[in-house]
Amino acid sequence: MLKVENLDKTFHTGAGDVHAVQNVTFNANDGEVVAIIGASGSGKSTLLSLLGLLDAPDRGSIEIDGNQLANLDAAGRTKYRSTQVGFVFQQFNLIPNLSAKENVKLALEFAHWPKEDREARAEAMLEMVGLDAGKADRRPAKLSGGEQQRVAIARAFAAQPQLILADEPTGSLDKSTGQKIISLLREAASQQKATVLVVTHDEKISQQADRRLEIEDGVLKEIA
Amino acid sequence: MNAVRRGIRNAFRNAMRSVGVVVILAVAIALSISMLIARDAVTTKIDTVRASTGNTITVSPKGFFGFQGGGTPLTTTQINGLLNLSNVTAVQESLSEQLKSTQTSLTSPTPVGQLGQQFGGFGGSSSSTGSLGSGSSATTTAFSIPIRVIGTNSPGNAVEGGANGGGTEKLTSGSAFSPTSKADVAIVGGTLATKNTLKVGSTFSAWGTKITVVGIFNAGSTFTDSNVLMPLATVQKLASATNQVTSATVVVNNINNVAGVDKAITKKLGSVADVTSTQATVEAQLAPLNSVKTISTYTLVGSVIGAAIILLLSMLMIVRERRREVGVLKALGAPNRSIITQFISESTTFTIMGAIVGFIAGIAVSSPITSALVSASGGSASSASTSGFVRHLGGSGGFTGGSSGFTPPTGATPGAGAFRFGGLHNTVTQLHTSAGWSTLGFAFIAAIVIAALGSTVAAATIVRIRPAEVLRSE
Repeated sequence: MLKVENLDKTFHTGAGDVHAVQNVTFNANDGEVVAIIGASGSGKSTLLSLLGLLDAPDRGSIEIDGNQLANLDAAGRTKYRSTQVGFVFQQFNLIPNLSAKENVKLALEFAHWPKEDREARAEAMLEMVGLDAGKADRRPAKLSGGEQQRVAIARAFAAQPQLILADEPTGSLDKSTGQKIISLLREAASQQKATVLVVTHDEKISQQADRRLEIEDGVLKEIA
Repeated sequence: MNAVRRGIRNAFRNAMRSVGVVVILAVAIALSISMLIARDAVTTKIDTVRASTGNTITVSPKGFFGFQGGGTPLTTTQINGLLNLSNVTAVQESLSEQLKSTQTSLTSPTPVGQLGQQFGGFGGSSSSTGSLGSGSSATTTAFSIPIRVIGTNSPGNAVEGGANGGGTEKLTSGSAFSPTSKADVAIVGGTLATKNTLKVGSTFSAWGTKITVVGIFNAGSTFTDSNVLMPLATVQKLASATNQVTSATVVVNNINNVAGVDKAITKKLGSVADVTSTQATVEAQLAPLNSVKTISTYTLVGSVIGAAIILLLSMLMIVRERRREVGVLKALGAPNRSIITQFISESTTFTIMGAIVGFIAGIAVSSPITSALVSASGGSASSASTSGFVRHLGGSGGFTGGSSGFTPPTGATPGAGAFRFGGLHNTVTQLHTSAGWSTLGFAFIAAIVIAALGSTVAAATIVRIRPAEVLRSE
């Protein structure tokens, strides 16, 4: 279970302070898909960076299953990212000179999965996201956008993290493929009992989530 | 796939860039290798030539031209004073005299020949009917070649060390006399002994004194094997040349001190002596090689620095290009250590590929590059020192130790001095370039270290990449 309390993040710029995240508090259960919607610059991505420990909050706490994460050191944050969090990006961000399977295995390597289990696990994950077996050894450039995002989802879920952070996962896909990707995220979250936070500005996509949160000027609120 | 394998694979990710980086690195490494080999070859040659010149200095009376005359003999007192100079370990004195047929019972084994007739005035002794020095009356001249007697206080060196005219004299029977001996004894050359039926224990007369043969030597040269070695004091007494010395060989403790001792002797003896050491002239001959050594050292350092900069800039460019990818890797939980290892592995792969090409190219071009450097540096320097070297070799004959190192040029016909100079000149400029395993091993390790250092700086920038910033810019 994800528990976030009073999270604050301010960027100090030449033009003045930007309060990207202000006093954000919310909870999310295991297996739950939560959509976070908001306009561009509202603080969505910053919130995801804080939750993924890519950035440190100025204040507040982040807990997963009772473990406090906000105050971890660099090594602790790295370990957390490799084992407890999976990222899905708008631009897929697969490593271009690795095959689909190798991209998935990369996440397993960083999570220190046993070497002998990685191959089978990667194949199982690619099968789970519906990638044709014949395409597992293809490099990203030889895959369509939808297929690349499937590989990215397989990579995100591979190490069995408790939290999946998806930043505009359908932003680069057509509507039909986007719907499939959201469905896939839902299925994966349900299967793996992971909490999925999906940042999107697409109303239809957000409506497929279990819950919807809206962020505006760094302030988060629950919407119906 | 671990970080090392990812790094190796990344090195082949962009074929054009990989080829470009490898070629540039290969050029720098080839230049480094060729300079390393050139430097090694030149250093070896310099050491060989220096070693071959020996650590001795010859001192002779000013203007002395052997038995043709010239100069005033030096004195034992003057020569002994040289022992007090710094770095001088020994002084070997000798007095050269001639025994005319009227002064000895010995007969020279050397026939007079046509040249003897022409230059009969060199001291030969004539019969009552002969006419010396005419050169044109061979049928009426009856002089014979005199016996050369060398009084020495260093009989061991005189016999074994080549001080007796140059060569490889060996004592074939008997023994040498004591350096301080004043006895009427002699070691005679094998040819002279055969001619006069001498053996150890035999006697002959010289200057009216009976001399006992204590040893017989062989040098493989008719001229040298016709000589007689006797104690210095004995010759000084019998030849009425008390305290006189016609040549001294000063032994210096270290070859690097020869030039300094040379100056000190010149200063001490002033204008009464000719001081000749091959060291000074050889150093002049070696000047072009020293110049090549300096050039190759600077070029080596420059090319190594160049290679490091090329690698550093290439890796910085690659890191900058892969900023987003590094951010993704960090987001996936890759530790900095893994990412740095990946980039070091990539740069090491570039370096190894560049080293393989560079080593082959460097070895291939090292010989022509070395030759070009030597010929470019050596032309003016060698011609400037030619006369000086010839003079030194011709003057004292003290360059005997180096003969094996100087190959005479094919078909050379000048006199002895010029012949020997030609040999040295050719040898100095004819370098043998070879790449030893130690040299290549050192170069390879250096290349890997440079690769590691070059990529570490680039890798340090990776550590500072903040994934949030990279991913926020999506």
